[in-house]
Parts: sequence; C-alpha cells; structure tokens
Amino acid sequence: MAGPAPAPIYTLRGSGGPLNTLHFNCHAGDAPLLFSGSGKGAIHVWNLNTRRAEKIIEAHSGSAVIWLSTLSTDALISQGRDMRVCLWDLAEGRSEVVDSVWTGSVGFCQCSLLEMSPGTFLLAFAGEQTEEVKIIELPSKTPVCTLVPDAKLGMVMCIKLWQPDSAPGPLLLAGYEDGSLLLWDVNQTSKLSQAKVHPGPVMCLALDTKRLRGVSGSSEKTLTSWIMDKQSNLQLRDCVTLVNPGVSQLCIREDGKLLASAGWDHRVRVFGWRKLKPLAALQYHTDMVLSVAFADHQDPRHRLLAAGSKDQRITLWSIYNQPTSTG
Amino acid sequence: MESLTLKAEVRLTVAQCYRTLTRGSDGADVVAALRTLRSYLDDGAQSATTAVQRAEFRRNHYTRTIQLLVHNIQADWLHSFTAAQRAELWDGLFLQGPPDQALLVLMEAIGNLRASTNLDHLVLITETFLQSGRLGDLLWLYCQAAPSDSPQLRETLLGRIVALPDLTANKLHPNNKPIFLPQQYYPLLASEMLSALDRTCQALREGTDCSLTFVAETLGKACMQGHSDVLLAAMAPRLSVCTRSDMVWQRVCWKLLENVPQRWMEAVLTGLVQAVSGPDALGRIIGNLVLKNKKAQFVITHKLLLLQYKYETKVLRTVLGYLAADKERRPMLIQVLRSVSQAWANPSAVKHTPLEQQFYVSKALLLSVSLLKDSELQELRSELLQCMLGGMQSHLDSSVVRIRHMGMVVGECLSSRMDINETKLTFEYDKDEETQELLSLMTPVTGDESEPETVPGADSVCEVTPPTVSSQNKSVDQPLTTNPDSDLDSDDELTPYDMSDDKEICQASPPRYLRDCLETLMTSEDAARVELSLRVAESLVRTNIFAAREISVKMTKVLLHMEDKYSINGFRLLRQATMVALAVTDCIPVTQYLTTEFYSLNYSLCQRLDILEVLASAAQELSKPIAKKSDPLCCPAACTDVTPYPGDNPVHWRQVVEKRIQSKTKRLSKGVTQPPVKATPNRYAPVAGHFFFPLLRNYDKPQATFDLLGSDHLVLGRLIHTFGLFMHLAVNAPIAAQMGCALLDFVWAVRYHADQMVRRSVLFAVCSVFLSMPSQNLLVDLDDQLFETRTWLADVAEGDPDADCRSLAVQSLVLLDKSLKKQLQDPPSLGSRS
Repeated sequence: MAGPAPAPIYTLRGSGGPLNTLHFNCHAGDAPLLFSGSGKGAIHVWNLNTRRAEKIIEAHSGSAVIWLSTLSTDALISQGRDMRVCLWDLAEGRSEVVDSVWTGSVGFCQCSLLEMSPGTFLLAFAGEQTEEVKIIELPSKTPVCTLVPDAKLGMVMCIKLWQPDSAPGPLLLAGYEDGSLLLWDVNQTSKLSQAKVHPGPVMCLALDTKRLRGVSGSSEKTLTSWIMDKQSNLQLRDCVTLVNPGVSQLCIREDGKLLASAGWDHRVRVFGWRKLKPLAALQYHTDMVLSVAFADHQDPRHRLLAAGSKDQRITLWSIYNQPTSTG
Repeated sequence: MESLTLKAEVRLTVAQCYRTLTRGSDGADVVAALRTLRSYLDDGAQSATTAVQRAEFRRNHYTRTIQLLVHNIQADWLHSFTAAQRAELWDGLFLQGPPDQALLVLMEAIGNLRASTNLDHLVLITETFLQSGRLGDLLWLYCQAAPSDSPQLRETLLGRIVALPDLTANKLHPNNKPIFLPQQYYPLLASEMLSALDRTCQALREGTDCSLTFVAETLGKACMQGHSDVLLAAMAPRLSVCTRSDMVWQRVCWKLLENVPQRWMEAVLTGLVQAVSGPDALGRIIGNLVLKNKKAQFVITHKLLLLQYKYETKVLRTVLGYLAADKERRPMLIQVLRSVSQAWANPSAVKHTPLEQQFYVSKALLLSVSLLKDSELQELRSELLQCMLGGMQSHLDSSVVRIRHMGMVVGECLSSRMDINETKLTFEYDKDEETQELLSLMTPVTGDESEPETVPGADSVCEVTPPTVSSQNKSVDQPLTTNPDSDLDSDDELTPYDMSDDKEICQASPPRYLRDCLETLMTSEDAARVELSLRVAESLVRTNIFAAREISVKMTKVLLHMEDKYSINGFRLLRQATMVALAVTDCIPVTQYLTTEFYSLNYSLCQRLDILEVLASAAQELSKPIAKKSDPLCCPAACTDVTPYPGDNPVHWRQVVEKRIQSKTKRLSKGVTQPPVKATPNRYAPVAGHFFFPLLRNYDKPQATFDLLGSDHLVLGRLIHTFGLFMHLAVNAPIAAQMGCALLDFVWAVRYHADQMVRRSVLFAVCSVFLSMPSQNLLVDLDDQLFETRTWLADVAEGDPDADCRSLAVQSLVLLDKSLKKQLQDPPSLGSRS
C-alpha cells in the first residue's frame, strides 16, 4: 500500500522571488492559468498547457505581492506590501491597474474576496489599526463595515469571508496574533463566537463552507480543526500533530476530500480532510513552502496541487485525483 | 455360654461348607454351601442368621472363606455357573463382606495369580469393589472405632490402599484398568475419604465418637508417595466449601490434620498450601495447627519460606496470609518476618544462593511487610531499617543486574511502607516482568478468594457461561462503535503514501571532512553540531581511511573522554561505533593507546569498561571476513552487532560458545553440503597479540582509583570476558597457543572469586581456551595444569550456586574431554610436531 510519495509532475522556475501566493483560474479562455505573486512584486501568469509564463506583471512598485485572486476572466485583484489592493484589467493582452484601494495594513494578512452577485464583490482586508478588519464593496469601493474586537487580541493574521446558506448575511472568520479565532456577523457588525485555537499566532486557516468545518495552523506543530454548530458557536475538534513546526498556508480541495499544508520544513503535507489522516509528505523544495493551492478545473483529473516556495520554484503535483476509487 | 455354642455352631456349618466346596462334587451342594455362607453376610430382618452368628463369621471366618474361594477358583463347579449365579454367589461374597479383609485377599490374590481368565475375574471384582464405594465403607469402618487388629495388619492395609495403582500396574501391565490408573484412582480415593469425613460429621452430630487416625494415615501416606497434587486438588476445594459455615466440619478437618503422623506431615502441608485457593481456606482447613504441631510449624514458617523456593507466589500469599489472619498466629508472622528479613539482608546469601531463591525470599519479605499492621511496623521498624540498609548495600554491590534490581525494588517498597520522615527511596530500573511482580506484591489482592459456594462439579457449568455472554457483548459492541464512523470512512479510500522519510529536519549540516568532525567534537558547544558530527563520525572514519590513520589516536582520545553533555539519542552506541571504526582502521596504534589507558590513572570505571567494549568489538569485526568493500550495508550491520553491554546478559556469552560448538558438530556430521566458503585472510590473527598481551600486564598493581583484584570486580569480570573473547576469536591464529597458556595462568588466581560474574567470565575464558587452542598444544604446553583444571571444573560443575557457572563448567569439561580424546586418538600429529 505505502508506495513512495510521488514526485512533482512539473516545476515552474523563473519567478525570481519567494512565492507568497498562488491562484488557479482554469475556467478562463483556452488554457488553464496559474497566477503567482512573488516577494519581488512580480505577478506571473503561467499557462499550464505550455507550462511557460504567459505574462509577467511588475506590480506594487517592487513590494511583495501577498495575495491575488481573479474577479472574472480578465480582472485580477492583487494585494501588496505597499498597503495597496490593486484591480487589474488583463483583457486583450493589457495589464493595467484599473483601480486601487489603500488598506493601511502593515501586516501579512491576506484579503478575502466574496462574490455577492455577478459583478459585485465584498472584499475584507486588515485595516490600519492592529485589530481592525474592514469590508468594502467592489467595484464601488463603498465601505460596508469595520470589525474591531473589544479585547486586545493583537494583529489580524488571517481572514475568511463567506456567505453561509443559513444566515442572511455574510460571516467572517478572523485569526489573531494571540491565537484566538473570532466569528463575525458582517451585517450585524457583531462577534458571534470566539475560541482560542492556538497558543501562538494563527498563521493561516482554511474553511470547508459546506460542512462548516475548518482548520487552522500556527508556528507550532499542531493543526487544529474546529466546527461551527447551529448556533454559530466555534467548537474545537481533533488536532493533528506535524513532524516539524510551522505552517504557512492551508488549502482544502473543492471536493472536500483533501487538505494540503505548506510547511516551514520545506514539505507539503496532504491529509484526508474528514479525519485529518496524514496521507503524504511531498518533498521537493529546498526552502520554506509559502503557499499551496488546488486547481479549480472542471475535470477532477486535472485538479492539480500547486506549491510555491521561498526557493523561487512552483511545483505542480498530481495527487489523489484519479477518480478510480472515489467514483 | 450361649454365644460360645453359637460360635461353635457357626464354625461347624462353615467347616461343612468348606468341605463341600473343596470336594466340589455336585453343583446343587455347592450352590447350597455358598448360599449358607452368603447368609452370614446378609443384614436385615429376613436374614436367616442371628447378629451374633454374623459377627462371629465376619470376624473369624470371612477371610478364610474368600481365601478358599480364590484357592478353588479353578474348580469345575465355578465354571458351570451361569453369569447371574456367579455374580450373586461368588462375587457377592467379596463385595458384601468386611471390605478390609476383602481388599487384602483380593490384592494378595491378584499378586499371586498368573495372567488368566481367573485373574481377569478377580480384577473385575476389584474394579466393582472400587466402583461400588467399598473403599469408603472401609475407611468409615476404621472411623467408627479403632478395630482391635494388629498394627502390622493396619500397616499392610494402608500400604495396599495407597499403593493399589502400583500393585495393579505391576501385575497387569498393558491390561490395566482405567480405574486403577493414578489419575482416576486417587481422585476416587479422595472422594471416598471425603465421604468418610462426611459420615464422621454426621455421626458426631448424633453424638457418636469417631476416630480419624486411619483416614489421616491414608492421606499422609498417599501424599508422601507423591500423589498429593491429584489427591488434594480433589479434596481441598470441597473441604474449603464445607468448612465455610460448618463448625463440625472444621473440627473434623483440624482433627484430621492433627492425626497425620509427623513423618508425613510435610507432604500433606506442602500439598495443601498449593491446592487451596487462599489464606482463608487454609486457615479454615488446618486451623491453628502451626501452634500445636512442631513439625507443621517448621514446615510452614521455615521450610516453605526459606529452604525451598520452587513454589508460586500464590503459595507464598497463602502461607503468609494464613499466618496473618489469626490473632494467635500473628506473632509467628512477625517471627517469620524477622527471619526472612535476615535471610534477605545476609550478604553471604546474596553471593552464594541461587538467584531464584533470592527472588523468592524477596517476594516473601515484601508480602509479609505488606501484611503488617502499622503498630507492628512501629515495633519492627529499627530491625527492618537495619535489614533494608544492609541488604540493599549487598544487593546493589552485586554485579548481577537482576540482583541489583531486586535490591532496588525491595528498598523502594520497604521505605515507602515504613515512611521514614516522609522520604522515600526511588531508583531507576527497567520495568520488567520480575520487578513488576515484586512491586505488585505490596498491593493486597482484593477479592482473592473467589471460591465457588457450591461443589466443584456444579460450578463448572457456571464458569463456562460468562465467557459466552461477554463474547456476545463484544460482538454487539463492535458494530456500535464502528457505525457512527461509517459515513466518515471515505478517508480510508485514500491510501497513504510511505511517509517514513518524513523526519524532523535539523538546521546544521553534517561535517564532510574528518578533521572538521574532530574539531567540532573537541571544541563545539553547539548541541546540534556535536550530534551531527557524532552521527557521521563513524562513516567518515570508514570512508577516509588515510585521513583516519593520521588522527586515529587523537580522535580515540577525544571520544574516550567525551561526555554526553547534550543527552544525544544513542550517544553511547555512536561513540562506541566510531571508536571501533578507528580501532579497526588503524589497529596497532589505537589498541596500544587503549590498552595503556586501561590501566592508567583518573579514568572512571565506565570509561574502562568502554575501552574493553571497544577492543572486544574491534577484535570481533577484524576477525570477520572482509565484506565487499563497495557494499555500504556492511557498516550499519557492524554497528548493530555492537550491543551496549553484552556482559549484562549472559545469553550473549552462551550464544557465542554454543554457536561455536554447533558449528563444530555440524561440520563433523554433515560433511561438505554447502558450497565451500571463499577463503579470505583473517585480519585479526596478525594483530591478536596487540589486543591481548598489553592488557594482561599490570592487572595486579592496585592504584588509588582502580583496584582490579579488590573492589572493582565488575571491571575484572568484564576484563576476563574480553580476554575470553580475544582468545575465542584467535582460533587458528599461530599465537593462540601462547595466548591460551597466558590466559589460563592469569585466570587461575581468580577461579574461586566471590563474585559470580567474575566466575562466569573465568569459565567463559576457559571455554574459549579449550575451543581455540590447538589440541596438541593443550597436551604439550598445559600438561601439568590440565589435571588441576579438570578437578576444579568438576568441582564448579557440581557445587557452584550459580546455574550459569555450572553449565559453563560442564561445557568446558565436555570441550576439554573432546579435545583430549581427539589428541590421544590421533597421536601422529603429536609425533610429527615434536
């Protein structure tokens, strides 16, 4: 049963900096694309058919790109350490900044984007104050609300905005520097629940919106999973212990079967999501892995796993995507 | 007057019958005669004879009658009887009469007759005799009143009853009946004795006097002949149940045991303590026998605890619990505790008694301490403390690990029980089976006597049922536990990959040059770097042979003085493996260094032991044929062979010796079946002397910190063991003969050392001398010593308290004899040499 862990199916080189963020867009145009944001302020658009960089955008005036996403086929949104969130128009070979938002955040907290209706989005980002999360509407840039906890919890480390089926308005999960995880109701601007999930800062979190179950990582050796019950209370569930401490990013595959973690120990770990059963430790990188992402391809066989590392390489892995046993 | 005439009448009638029977003329007459005789045995109202007549017949004529019957067993009339007639008239006379006389006659007849149908017939009668419970009648007969017969007769009868299986087996050989087999006969005897006791109880309740002497003698004699386990296994549970509430039964039991003759008391008691289920049962059955009977007291308080040590812990629990259970017996517990603690603390006992006995005494000590009350403990405190301190010292001094552990556990338990100023001793030792068992003795067993209330036969049914119930429960439970998970099971569809590579990563990189490695080991304060260097050191030494030769002695020195400052995992093994690698790569300078350092000042015992260990492992590795150089697997294999302390497990030694013996015998018997091994040069042979002789110097020069022949006998034992190993590995080397002579000389001085580890090492060394020395040299060079050595070995093989020493001595003797025989049968080789 236990074969050796697979090797990456391809390595994308030449990004010229540590890879802070990865984003797949497989629905656009003819070729599936992978966007990557580097620590040197470059955004690469990789064509996954030719496996070459189709376009390289110098953004955020050389400051590190820490997050990016796509609004539509040709509209890209990126966040940089220059305290700006930029909207890009990539249509017809262009690469121009259409709009930008000043966040004022000096931290590393990645934004979270939620599509409310076609064409309108909510964007949540860490604000100028340490504990502050701001939500604005795009493209109008109208501020929706500002969420500040009563207690001193330290800097906002990671946030996740989503629209549950049960609640009328969107909810926001935010992890803070002291290890607390807070669940906010955006419409009410009120805190629904709070839980201390880690002894140290919450470095990253991932949420399975269908099961209302999520997982968070920190600089320690444990990944903690938690659920939200019917009364929107956060409850801690089982933990899984890693061999080496430190997780930069977590990602759950769309089908809710796999969880991938980007480890500081140069390894990408893959877990079965339902029981957090360790499945594989992918070794290739020679430095910290900073980001992981699963492809959103329609065909499950092409749902690759991408990992970006400080060693300036992106690896693509084809793992557990043969629909033989899972059906 | 009337009775006299009646008696005469009986005699007359009986005589007439005898005549008819012996003449055996007419069938009808014979039948009539037999009927008449039979009528004297019939009890009951319709009987034709009076009670006096019957008594007279039973007393004076019965034995003769049945003897006559047996005598005339060949008579024609008997063969003309139908089966029914025969059963009624002939067999009936045996089965209805006084059972003691019948049994005696039957056994005598069986003993005299040759194999024939008549013998079969008598055997059949004896079988029926036993099956119809006549044995119980016999015992009961002797319970009612002491019969007036002679002691000789009683003795004979007792012998016949107890030895019936032997008598029949001797006579009948393969045709023996199952009921005469000991496995069936003794349980039968037990149940007959129980029924006799039962009848006694009944009679006592009705106010009749009874005597239990005969039953007690039967019990004693049967136990003495070694049937106590079968007999008491059947009796003890029943007695335990009966005595639970019934005072009469208790009194009968006590009386029974009091009546067991002194010479058989021990057998009965030892059997009983093993058969009963716990101290309470024993107390009910034997009562305060220990207080009344000197012999019983000696057996229970001394022999079972201090002289014998074969019994299980349960027996100890039973005996000590029995002493503790009663107020009158309690002083005895304290007396026992005193003697046991003295025995435990005795330094000479630690040295000279077998390990198993020490373990047994330790168990007894802990058990009796755990049974003490706090007030009693206060009284005995000073004594116990003295015992504990003295005993622990002698135990911890021992070089046998098990004895040391025993001392630690007992010390811990005693100190925690005595609660000296709220302080407790704690030691570090491995939690193995033995220490666990000792520790468990301090906690009293709860609900130890789960005795069946009913008779054993009935309760076996109850015992069978619970397991089936519980297994059903389990099978119900299992689906319950799996059910909630079943919808989450989809993770299992994803087969995990091999994640064995997924280890902790360390920051620093290991050194790549040997000199860097040495530098780090010498100067670095960084735990991670030191560990990495240590981990790669061995492979660096083995791969860079030339670099290693340049710095071998320096590196050995550094490693020898290295301490485990950072508690590195596997530090000892890593360090040792590297030193072995150095000694193998650059043999002569490193061995020279190590052998001189062994005797120099300012080393800890541990370092000296390490030196020996390294030398031994290096010699072992050198003597192995060189594996393919390119094979990287040979290095780890060599590492794993190095066990940290082979001296601590004697198995290792024996394995070495036995492997050697086996390889020899195989070669003789099998011939060449395997493909011949490719010859490779032995790297050890040319340098064996460098390992051996420098170490042999200086052993008798005591220094301030190191006294090999004095208190440091641990090192001495290991040193001799190492010599033995060198000798063993030097087989076929030219220098082996000289090494052997020197070693035997050296060992001679310490052959009767007080420490058993040293003695074991000496014997191991002697074994290897006999194995490795060429046999012609044995005879020529050791001529004068051989005889003395043989006598010494024979002495050890017979009298040494340590089992390993004995077996090693036997092995040495066998090897010596083999070698000598070979030499004496094959003198040409001697002639050609001389």
